[in-house]
Amino acid sequence: MISCHELNRRFGDQHAVEALTFQVEKGAICAFLGANGAGKSTTVKMLTGLLAPTSGAIEIRGIDVVKNPLAIRRISGVLPEDLGLFDDLTVEEHLMLTGRIYGLDPHSTRQRASELLRALNLTEGRNTFAAQCSHGMRKKTAFAMALLPNPEVLFLDEPFEAIDPVTAKLMRDLLVALSRRGITIFLTSHVLSVVERIATQLVIIREGKCVWNSPASELPRSLEDLYFELAESANPEPLEWLGSPLS
Amino acid sequence: MARLSAVLGALWTAIRRDAGSMASFSGNNFFIVGAVLLFFGDPGAFVSLNAVIAVILFFPLSTDPLRKIPPTRLALWPLTGRERLWLRILSPWLNPIAWVLAALAVWKGIGIGVWATFAGLFAIVFVMPSLPFGNRSGIGRAVPNLPGPLNQLIRKDLRQIVSSLDFYCALSWSALATITRATGRLPSDARVPVSLVIVLALSTIALNSFGPDGKAGINRYRLLPLRGWQILLAKDAAFLAIAALLTAPLSPLSGISAALAALAFGHYDSVTLRHDETRWRFRTSKSVGRSIVQVVLLIAAGAGVSTSALVYFPAVIAVYAGSTWWFGRELEQLANRG
Repeated sequence: MISCHELNRRFGDQHAVEALTFQVEKGAICAFLGANGAGKSTTVKMLTGLLAPTSGAIEIRGIDVVKNPLAIRRISGVLPEDLGLFDDLTVEEHLMLTGRIYGLDPHSTRQRASELLRALNLTEGRNTFAAQCSHGMRKKTAFAMALLPNPEVLFLDEPFEAIDPVTAKLMRDLLVALSRRGITIFLTSHVLSVVERIATQLVIIREGKCVWNSPASELPRSLEDLYFELAESANPEPLEWLGSPLS
Repeated sequence: MARLSAVLGALWTAIRRDAGSMASFSGNNFFIVGAVLLFFGDPGAFVSLNAVIAVILFFPLSTDPLRKIPPTRLALWPLTGRERLWLRILSPWLNPIAWVLAALAVWKGIGIGVWATFAGLFAIVFVMPSLPFGNRSGIGRAVPNLPGPLNQLIRKDLRQIVSSLDFYCALSWSALATITRATGRLPSDARVPVSLVIVLALSTIALNSFGPDGKAGINRYRLLPLRGWQILLAKDAAFLAIAALLTAPLSPLSGISAALAALAFGHYDSVTLRHDETRWRFRTSKSVGRSIVQVVLLIAAGAGVSTSALVYFPAVIAVYAGSTWWFGRELEQLANRG
């Protein structure tokens, strides 16, 4: 479903993503992991057509993302890193906008929007402007926007961060159900416990390079151990002034 | 005392930075045209155009400086009750308008009625956001639903325009002209020029129509399965609706033609020279030269249509359609290049 071949992205002299190659099968939940600044969001932006790669090829369902971005937008739902919300639209208006632009009639849009608002506990805040929403509400709105057009592939950049536990569980269960219905899911996250439960494929990158790519069932040890070994190592500072008498 | 001066110091820094954004009017077409008229020896026109800007700027300038600190942060700081009281007493004096009003009260160079009016307005704007009913943003946000799939985009753009000071500048001119016309004191040959002044007041918006969307909004546009011309059309529909509404009591056809010309020329800047805009400030142009060309074109289009609508109006529409198609394509290409 998703195919990346020798994907590169440079910002000046800096390689944000280097020779990244992987495939994701239809109906898989691929977790794309790495430390802050490792190149995860840059990769998601390239996969969704928000950023052109310096070189390399990306195809989604056989469609070239660079050559035909409009076709990709029609079949994909995206939760971008910055959420992509308009300050001057309410939660519900964002959903109405999405449905109509993806070709749904007003009645179906309203129906789907109501269901999503209920499912994500957004009903009470449906008339709140995005600029006045909490970060969690904004994220849920962007997540609902990604789901509303019934996409074939979902790209979710850190979906579980800043979300309350109930909604996080709901999202987790929903993603598993969607993958069983054949929707391909590509997500980044730092919440390894959730990733370990739902992912069927794991890709780990470090400094823009792929350092691990395997089905989740083939992990040699726990995801946390593997992650700390491959993606980043902790750097403990003593911070001895903390706990000393107040000056 | 050290804590109090630290808070006041931080407030002063925030106010100085905000003063920079207040100066946005100097990049606005309305001010630029005033400056050009002054250069050509018409100080009266300069004063009349800038008097409106000054009156409109009075409102955002009159806000309570203490509101720059998030209420939660202010509550969390370890300040004593006495320090909070001093902060409340001293912080209004960080607002330059408070000093101007105090100076005018001492100087007595203006009538007590005028002083009281401005002092009263200052007090209302200063206090209102702190009142339970004063912080509602519903007035400018109640936009009717429109037919078609671009409905929510157009509504968003209408709200963005209504939260720019350019709109209030145009609204002031429109309201004054409408009242003057209703009282029979507006000569019929003044309708077209006043309509053009109204569109001139709005025209900077057409030079940076994506400015208020921010980076996140631009990313959302790029994720939507829409053609570039559709996105521009949604933006422009909001601008045209406002221009038509404000010029309706005067010369709507000239107003719409001038607005179409302003948009057709502004597409290049909007698509390729986007810069962030702040709410409740005047919109800014990136280039004085391009502003002047835009203003000349909008005046030519509006005046031309008033002389021969059959010839000029279709021409203006054709130019606008061509610009929308061309820069819509440009918008798609820019989005694809990332």
